[in-house]
Amino acid sequence: MDRTACVEIAALPLQLLLRRRPEWRDGPVAVVDRDKPQGTLLWVNARARRSRVESGMRYAAALSLERRLHAGVVPAGEIDAAVTALTRRLWNFSPAVEAAADVPGRFWLDASGLARLAPSLQDWAEALHAALAADGFAATLAVGFTRFGCTVGARTARTIQVFVDAEEERGALRRAPLARLDLPVRLRELLRKLGIRTLGAFADLPPEGIRRRFGADAQELHALARGELSPGLRPAPWHDPARAVFVFELPEENALRLLDCMETGLRQLLETLDARGEALAELDLRMLLEDGSHVDERLTPAIPAREPRPVQELLRLRLEAHPPACGVLELRLRGHGAPAAARQATLFQASGRDPDGARRAFARLRAEFGNATVVRTRLLDGHLPEARWDWEILEGPTAEAAVAAIARPRDRGRLPLVRRVEPRPRPVAAPWSGAWYPAGLDDGPVEELLGPQILSGGWWVRETTRAYHWARTRNGRWLWVYHDRARDRWFLHGELS
Amino acid sequence: MNTASGSSTARRSEGGHAALWCRSHYSFLEGASSPAELVETAHALGLRALALTDRDGVYGAVRAHVRARELDMHLIQGAEVSVRGGARVQLLAADREGWARLCRLLTRGRLRSPKGQSVVDLEELCASAEGLHALWDCGEEKHTAALRAAFGERLHAVVARHRRAGDAREERRRREHARVHHVPVLAATEVLYHDRSRRALQDVLTCIRHRTRLAAAGQLLRPNAEHALHPPQDFRELYRDDPDAVRRTLEVAAACTFSLADIHYRYPVETLPDGSDAGRHLRALTLSGARRRYPGGVPDDVRRQLDKELALVQELQYEGYFLSMHEIVRWCGEQGILCQGRGSAANSAVCYCLGITAVDPVRMGLLFERFLSRERAEPPDIDLDIEHDRREEVIQHVYARYGRSHAAMVANFVRFRARSAVREVGKALGVPETEVDRLARMLSSYGRFDDDSFADAGLDARNPLHANLARLTREIRGVPRHLSIHPGGFLLGHEPVDRLVPVENATMPGRTVVQWDKNDLEDLGLFKVDLLGLGALNVCHRAFDLVESSYGRKLSLATVPPADTATFDDICRGDTVGVFQIESRAQMAMLPRLRPRTYYDLVIEISLIRPGPISGGMVHPYLRRREGLEQVDYPIPELEPVLKKTLGIPLFQEQVIRLAMVAADYTPGEADQLRRDMAAWKIEGKIERHRERLVSRMRRKGVPQEFAERVFEQIRGFGEYGFPESHAASFALIAYATAWLKTHYPAAFLAALLNAQPMGFYSAATLIGDAQRHGVEVRPVDAFRSAWECTLEPCARSGEGSAVRVGLRFVKGMRAEDARRIVAARAGSEAMPGSTGQPDSVAALARAAGVDRGVLTRLAEAGALDALEDGRRDALWDALGAPRPVDVDAVADGSDARAAHTGGTAEHDDDPAVDFAALDSFDTIRWDYDATGHSTRGHPLAPLREALTDQGLPDAATVRTAGDGDEVHYAGMVICRQRPETAGGVVFLTLEDETGFVNVVLWRKIYEQHRILAKTQAFLGVSGRLQVESGVAHLVAHDLWTPRLATRPVEQRSRDFR
Repeated sequence: MDRTACVEIAALPLQLLLRRRPEWRDGPVAVVDRDKPQGTLLWVNARARRSRVESGMRYAAALSLERRLHAGVVPAGEIDAAVTALTRRLWNFSPAVEAAADVPGRFWLDASGLARLAPSLQDWAEALHAALAADGFAATLAVGFTRFGCTVGARTARTIQVFVDAEEERGALRRAPLARLDLPVRLRELLRKLGIRTLGAFADLPPEGIRRRFGADAQELHALARGELSPGLRPAPWHDPARAVFVFELPEENALRLLDCMETGLRQLLETLDARGEALAELDLRMLLEDGSHVDERLTPAIPAREPRPVQELLRLRLEAHPPACGVLELRLRGHGAPAAARQATLFQASGRDPDGARRAFARLRAEFGNATVVRTRLLDGHLPEARWDWEILEGPTAEAAVAAIARPRDRGRLPLVRRVEPRPRPVAAPWSGAWYPAGLDDGPVEELLGPQILSGGWWVRETTRAYHWARTRNGRWLWVYHDRARDRWFLHGELS
Repeated sequence: MNTASGSSTARRSEGGHAALWCRSHYSFLEGASSPAELVETAHALGLRALALTDRDGVYGAVRAHVRARELDMHLIQGAEVSVRGGARVQLLAADREGWARLCRLLTRGRLRSPKGQSVVDLEELCASAEGLHALWDCGEEKHTAALRAAFGERLHAVVARHRRAGDAREERRRREHARVHHVPVLAATEVLYHDRSRRALQDVLTCIRHRTRLAAAGQLLRPNAEHALHPPQDFRELYRDDPDAVRRTLEVAAACTFSLADIHYRYPVETLPDGSDAGRHLRALTLSGARRRYPGGVPDDVRRQLDKELALVQELQYEGYFLSMHEIVRWCGEQGILCQGRGSAANSAVCYCLGITAVDPVRMGLLFERFLSRERAEPPDIDLDIEHDRREEVIQHVYARYGRSHAAMVANFVRFRARSAVREVGKALGVPETEVDRLARMLSSYGRFDDDSFADAGLDARNPLHANLARLTREIRGVPRHLSIHPGGFLLGHEPVDRLVPVENATMPGRTVVQWDKNDLEDLGLFKVDLLGLGALNVCHRAFDLVESSYGRKLSLATVPPADTATFDDICRGDTVGVFQIESRAQMAMLPRLRPRTYYDLVIEISLIRPGPISGGMVHPYLRRREGLEQVDYPIPELEPVLKKTLGIPLFQEQVIRLAMVAADYTPGEADQLRRDMAAWKIEGKIERHRERLVSRMRRKGVPQEFAERVFEQIRGFGEYGFPESHAASFALIAYATAWLKTHYPAAFLAALLNAQPMGFYSAATLIGDAQRHGVEVRPVDAFRSAWECTLEPCARSGEGSAVRVGLRFVKGMRAEDARRIVAARAGSEAMPGSTGQPDSVAALARAAGVDRGVLTRLAEAGALDALEDGRRDALWDALGAPRPVDVDAVADGSDARAAHTGGTAEHDDDPAVDFAALDSFDTIRWDYDATGHSTRGHPLAPLREALTDQGLPDAATVRTAGDGDEVHYAGMVICRQRPETAGGVVFLTLEDETGFVNVVLWRKIYEQHRILAKTQAFLGVSGRLQVESGVAHLVAHDLWTPRLATRPVEQRSRDFR
């Protein structure tokens, strides 16, 4: 008979939150959907439940029950990433893993035939449980015969429960307290009021009355509890990155030979990905060096590649820019695939420029100088000059975004005062009663000083007060200098261009 | 400019400057200093004048005026007016007419705009120019031309130097603009705070206004801290290149001579029926009233008092005020609305004869001068209590009678308190909102923001973010946030009110409100008519109606039998839950000691348990003297007439003032100042300035130091809240009436109290429990017997002959409309065509009443469907499966053809029967509480009594029988927490179980040790030593703990007071 297992990492987002805020572990804690008093509690820990705080409550309402309740938001992206990582982790134990769509932290595994790999299903389950514990997750686990039975088993088990036969699973299912299951708040509350405390008692209610009173979801739960529904496993497709490994008998120091190996590996990866209908979106490169260290590089082609040539070029550029410091013992390539996308909108179409060329240029720049090389300007709304803009790394081949983000002066009707601003303000000597040479002797002394314009603020982080002046030197340069009150020093911040 | 003329001008400007563009924190969420701070700083810096120009309002005008008057500072009144199109102009009132025009202009702008906004048209602005100076930022050309034509020489082009990047360019533009239009240039700074240290607060206010965080506010924040008042030297230096612009500030200041003292207010004159003048009419009404009050003939002393009062009223031309109060009271009487005057008006025999008040001041020996005096020359203050439910009718009557132009309600400024301050500042600083909310809940609204509160909330005072939160929260507390409305204060004017002060829309439809609050009105000597809602009058009215309908006995406040022995017996026992003014735990504890046997004893009882007498240490000396344990004597013989009726101990506000006059030789002016300073208790330090004067003068007259110190402490306590004797006398009448009703008609009294909820000191659960312990049968809510409100039903078992049936209004989530449908449905054929009678199932009720499953579910959970089903769970199951509602009204009038065709049977229930377990007593009570907030079937602790007894924990009745000094361990539900400021950190808890109350005292140290438990635990265990005095027991705790029971009782929300 087919065996199924359910792993329940109870309140996974809460566990993620407590990893982030370990100082909250000993008190009542909840995950909220948004950082507002009216935010809804999504998951609560046992300490909070002791004060009758339950998921589904508003944070403000929960606070009236438990004033010490801490709460935080766990973004969906963080949860998804954790679920993905856990799915990968569970693939070590079963080739068929399904992550529950609506309950993060719940996974079903196909456990059929696994007793042949482990001494028993109990041992297999214990190994899985230990692996999760080693990763810092508290989980419960049940191995049984139906998906619903295992789910209930995992929800009610202390750690691990292995059902010997289907009858045992059915009995456990009937005894399962509703309070331990993830029922919708309203349904849970109404059943509690009706004195329905176990799944068996719930199953005994007349089916025709359930839908009318509690809705379609409750009807489905009721059918599951009665054994009238038995959905099968829908495992996630296994997307293992394509890999290629080269081990050298002697440390390889020749760059050309290394590049040759890389290109061989690259072709292997492309073939693997192509068989899945994918193109190469990212290439991870790891070189183990003879001194015990390793070098990690990540290359991103302009568009997901199905041909080796563009990636070969990037590999060459990267290897030339960052050659290994010593001989390479092992070379590992890992390729991440992506569905081959439809052709992107054309960049600079109107101007007749070559969008693919632009993308290739960006990719080459990144390959040669690093991924942080390609940036664009983002205008900010601060007062301090350095708080008026920021550099933003331009991710991926989105040249259209770069064009859209070109900064333009707000008032086009007025000639802008163009300042060439120093990357970092440069300390200069303070003015004194004699001649003042903030830009050096060559430019002559300051002959005219306008200002001050005072900028102060940021007191909630670190108070800054600057008195800006325009200083005209003898040879006509207009320097932009300021006095920093906190440091009592003068700085050259820029110049009129 | 040549050198010679420059020096000459510079010399002229050495006279300083006037700050003409200042916004206080009454420019809500923009200015960061109070008007008083601005005036004080301007005075301290030596500024020649200061103009208050708040945004679209004059909210701070009186506060600035009062402070400027005290400092003899030249204050210019004005406002910054928003003009359609986005421009703003500062208008300064040169004279009274200018002020009236400014007020009217602002009124126009406000009344046409949504609340919190104002905009005027350029034409309106120009039409209001007379008597006003305008500071203009040289915006659009067409505006400048129009303004120049309207204001002429009184238009000034304002230049401001805030050391911002674009200042120089903007100033060049303005100067050129001014030159072209021949407008003189005037130097100014946009003042937003009196001192640079308020910059942070100003930034935070900006964030609150724009609902953003500091880190994200960007250029919404000002770029620097250049918006403080400048010292004259700095201002001259700032404009050293244009001293004429500085000099013009002084010229404008000199031209603006208007002061709020120039307002000559007149109360509206009543339209008299017979053409006689107001004085004669008032006399006639008064004498006619006197004959009714004294049917056996008006006593000579009363007649003399009336003559004296009427003469003074006529002299001060206050007849209109008395006549309008009389008219309102008369109108209330015609409408059957209970009302009663209180406060110092009860000192007036005229008010008594006019029916405004119900206390005979002559018989009581009350001092008329406390109400009205020639020397004080301030308007009389008559507060009219009106039964709460019907106050809006009276308010609308006043609007209708005087018209919108001559009547507007008084404002109330909503200010940042501890909780709102933490929330808003925390958000601005970027503290996670959930953390901020948690911290806010650790504080009471009036609570302190101290390190303990920080620690309790898990915040670290050493963290800079948290330190900023603490600092700014303290700074922002008390800052006005927005305008609200006084509960019942009216400003009535002989001339249109908007010539005195701008009027704007209130949030509540149909109400308009002036821009000043009651303190402002008092400071300007304007008349205020206070129409206050009082729940106790509502209770009386409802109880009288129930007594009349159930027992045929017609009662009113005037006909409640006086000096009833049984009533005073109950009062002496402290059996006063629900009785007006004497139901608090402190009052109940005092009653067995004071043992009131007369109406005047009640007056004393009400006055005694107040911060004044308590903090002045007067309570125990008074009690000892009353019990004959201490001799009645007087510090000096001259005080005997002042203190005789309170056994030598000052208990009333007016006694304290007279004491200051007699024992400390206070002049009438000083005494009046003392009274004002006591009233202005929110302003710290005002009372303190009397300490030395009072104590030293009393010492010189031979008053013992200890007594003098105590008197001062009491004055300070009165500053917070003390009762004048007349006020207590008015309240004592209602207290007696409610006590009499409780004694003789407890069921009617309970039903009235429940119907008047929310009000008073106790929850409905506690009121019901108390009534049940007094033998009142209280029947649970029942869909087939209950009306919307609580009613009386015949009950043979009850001594009163009636039981209370709880009304449907207590079912949570129930609307009056749902109740009406249910009541109609159970009447059968009245509601449903073709119906044969009362519904016999939940489904039938649903069809007949047309109510939804939510309503039926709540009824089932409340046990209100018990008549249809054996068990509440069965009823709940049926309710959950009830057919969808049809509109029974539509069926009745035939508009819902489908429903009419089926007789309202939209669906029918064909569920198989399900057996649900019956509720046990514990769950029954829990369901009651969940559904209605109380239970008539039992106290939450009753089902747990056995378990509690097993643990050796007694009930409240047993605790009360224990002896003084006994060690007691007790567990009960916390129904009330109090931490009075006068108690030196002592916290009082009232715990309750099914047998009554236990009073717990937590000394400061114990409270500090168990702060979280004491603040948060609903079911609490207390260990302590019993202290019994005069039959009143207090459990003085030395330990608090969480009782350990297998089942937690249902939690009641406690009522917590300061």
